[in-house]
Amino acid sequence: MTTAAEFTGVTQAYGDTVAVDNLNLQIEQGKLTTLLGPSGCGKTTTLRMLAGYITPSAGTITINGADATRLPPEKRNLGMVFQSYALFPHLTVADNVGFGLKLRKVPATKRRELVMANLDLVGLAHLADRKPKALSGGQQQRVALARAIAISPSLLLLDEPLSNLDARLRVQMRSEIRRIQGETGLTVVLVTHDQEEALEMSDTMVVMRAGKVMQTGAPATVFTAPANRFVADFLGYENFLTQSDGSLLTVRPEHLRVAAAGVVPTTPGLTVAAVVRESVYRGVDHIVTMTATDATGTPITLVSTTRRDTLTADAGFQPGDLVTAQARDHEIVRLTSEN
Amino acid sequence: MKGRPILGTLAVLGYIIMIVPILFVVSTAFTAGDALTFPPQGVSLRWFGEALAYQPFVGALLSSLQLAVVSTALALLLGVPVTLAIQRGKIPGKSLVEGLFLSPLVVPELVVGLALYQQIMIGLHQTSFVALLVGHTVLLLPYAVRVTGASLALADPAVEEAARGLGATPLRTFFSVTLPLLRPGIFSAGLLSFVTSFNNVPLSLLLQSRQFRTLPVTMLDYVQQSYDPMIAAMSTLILAGTVVIAIVAEKTLGFAKIFGGINK
Amino acid sequence: MSRKPALLLIPGLVFILFGFAIPSAIMLLAPPSTDTADVFARFGAMLTDPYDLAIIWRTVRIGVIVTVACVVLGFPIAYLLARSTSRFAGMWLALAIFPLLLSNVVRTFGWLVILGSQGAFGQLLVVLGITDQPPQLLYTELAIVLGLIQLFLPLAVISCYSAVAQVDAGLDHAARGLGATKSQTLWKIVIPLSRPGILIAGTLVFAGATTAYTTPYLLGGSSQRMLSTQLFSYASVSVDWAAASATALMMTLLVFMVSGLSSLISRKAGVTS
Repeated sequence: MTTAAEFTGVTQAYGDTVAVDNLNLQIEQGKLTTLLGPSGCGKTTTLRMLAGYITPSAGTITINGADATRLPPEKRNLGMVFQSYALFPHLTVADNVGFGLKLRKVPATKRRELVMANLDLVGLAHLADRKPKALSGGQQQRVALARAIAISPSLLLLDEPLSNLDARLRVQMRSEIRRIQGETGLTVVLVTHDQEEALEMSDTMVVMRAGKVMQTGAPATVFTAPANRFVADFLGYENFLTQSDGSLLTVRPEHLRVAAAGVVPTTPGLTVAAVVRESVYRGVDHIVTMTATDATGTPITLVSTTRRDTLTADAGFQPGDLVTAQARDHEIVRLTSEN
Repeated sequence: MKGRPILGTLAVLGYIIMIVPILFVVSTAFTAGDALTFPPQGVSLRWFGEALAYQPFVGALLSSLQLAVVSTALALLLGVPVTLAIQRGKIPGKSLVEGLFLSPLVVPELVVGLALYQQIMIGLHQTSFVALLVGHTVLLLPYAVRVTGASLALADPAVEEAARGLGATPLRTFFSVTLPLLRPGIFSAGLLSFVTSFNNVPLSLLLQSRQFRTLPVTMLDYVQQSYDPMIAAMSTLILAGTVVIAIVAEKTLGFAKIFGGINK
Repeated sequence: MSRKPALLLIPGLVFILFGFAIPSAIMLLAPPSTDTADVFARFGAMLTDPYDLAIIWRTVRIGVIVTVACVVLGFPIAYLLARSTSRFAGMWLALAIFPLLLSNVVRTFGWLVILGSQGAFGQLLVVLGITDQPPQLLYTELAIVLGLIQLFLPLAVISCYSAVAQVDAGLDHAARGLGATKSQTLWKIVIPLSRPGILIAGTLVFAGATTAYTTPYLLGGSSQRMLSTQLFSYASVSVDWAAASATALMMTLLVFMVSGLSSLISRKAGVTS
């Protein structure tokens, strides 16, 4: 693989708080890498260090093989899309997109051509002469994207680009960004706290927590084999059961089935006796919350959201019902390290 | 005001106290008689003619305009960089620095005037224009810092970062992004500063000289000696000028927006 | 830009230090050819001298009356405008703010026309048969108070307006819906929530009224001296630097005490509520 950017031993500390702790990371050329994690995990700090808005306290950052650790942002040639879009309010859409080209002394006719081509790419060529204020949030987002791409950046950096959009638009923009990435062949680094977004969009996802990388890998790898409890938890795993040997098992709620007490499963797997605490009808499924005890005798909560086979208004289990929670072997994830 | 008899009455009384005296000045300015009395005797424009022909008023008007323009420019030139440093830089003791620049609002103007009289006019033997320029600029700095600061605080700092990311140097970013964002704030601050300087009495009174005297001070002097409708006519002319400024303010930015910056 | 903020600060800082802070401190504590001790001696003497005490007391009294009047008249204007749905509300607000742009001298002249010996108010009283001769209203404390209210009412309106405008009108509706009368809503909801703005209004008006020069000079004359007119006469008529500094010190302390008190109150209110 070709590395577009690399972090080596990068630490960023503000006083006593360490935002990023000894980070080692490679961004692969031509791929879309997401930095995923809850707020405060250091993902935005990492992106801003890559963009040059923050200088690391320690370590080196290279872009295309050259040391860029202390390079000011204007010398990095990276396209960044900000969470707030950060469009220049006093300039038209076309002048926003052409801003970087003008600085690169691209002649006016060529500039106009490139501006329109990039606006075409995001489907907004007809709004070129508007001011940003006259655009919807989704349109502003596209302009910000066009502006960042227009300078032919060596990397495109997206800081929570979809978080200010409404749910439908967000889903639509995911594939839009993937399409643009495919058409331009750009290396993209995307910061998000939305696991679904990361799973859907990434070539590589980097899950972060408290300034450290928890796991790096392709979405399917990370989803099916989370490295530890934190990653599993963040990706929507519930039902963590400590085994008598100290190892940890986890099952996604949609994989945990509930059967009446005494029903023996037909396939090998996990069976846990439990008591129903709550059962809530949700249309496509019931969400059944149960109380059980794991192998070490610790009381635990189990959650099942198994899809119902038929359309029925049946309330399912009642609180207090004695049940068994069951999962098949291939639905069980064994976590190597507890953390 | 329906169903609010007490509040309504108080509000009406408030408006009467604020506005009616101004109307009296205007109405007496159009008198044909010789005395500043009410009701005015007849209607004429003669006192406007006399006011505009009265050399001390005309000279003082020019002095006032000159002082207001220069001190406003100086206050903006000094104050806008301070705003930038306070809003965008990471400087230690930020609130202390801001407090220092706002403190001329708190210290009585007579104190500042007397201090500059002693230090600059007596101590350094400078002309009254120099002393007045220093004094007025000091008085206007809080507006320059606070009003432009308010408009900068509203702007998204990421906009400047975006410009840097697109290849603009810090200097280029300032001129092509920050300054345009600041423009409404600078306009408001400039307008308020100009009016504040033009209308100032305490500093202009203490720091005046025979060579340099502002219009309000000249008018105060005049009214001590003669009490005739010319003063009402001159006041009405100032009122007219102020109305023009107010309309410009309302049309460009909106009145409330400009004054919003003073408070808080 | 954020790399060298100190450089941006320096010209302004030098200017405000040498053009304001240092000269003011020298003027208050060590004026030319005068010992600091003399200033303090004069300051001490002011507190026992009946003439000076009368001036201090008049200044404080006028300051308090004007402050109370401005809040009592300014809050209703602010409240009614902030809650008005009329399309003329903006125009009325502009009318209340406009006087701030107008010269104090021009605004104060109006009272000369109204209260002067041949003024409108006196003539009205004669015409109505209330008095035979127009009463002497100019050069009285009343004249100063009226003039200062006119001067500072717009300031009170703006401060109160921004405070009331920040109180969600939905709260008024909620209170009314829960059975509160209009006046209960005002006293129990709107006023407590806009108290910080009212406090700022009061502080600004008090500081302005106790240090204003034009109004007491024009409307109070030499018989109704306030600290400001007294200070000016020490400085330019008798050229008594010690007395001028002591008077200036008194005025400055008065303003600082009141603004300190006001920020103390708002801080305390902030903690408890």
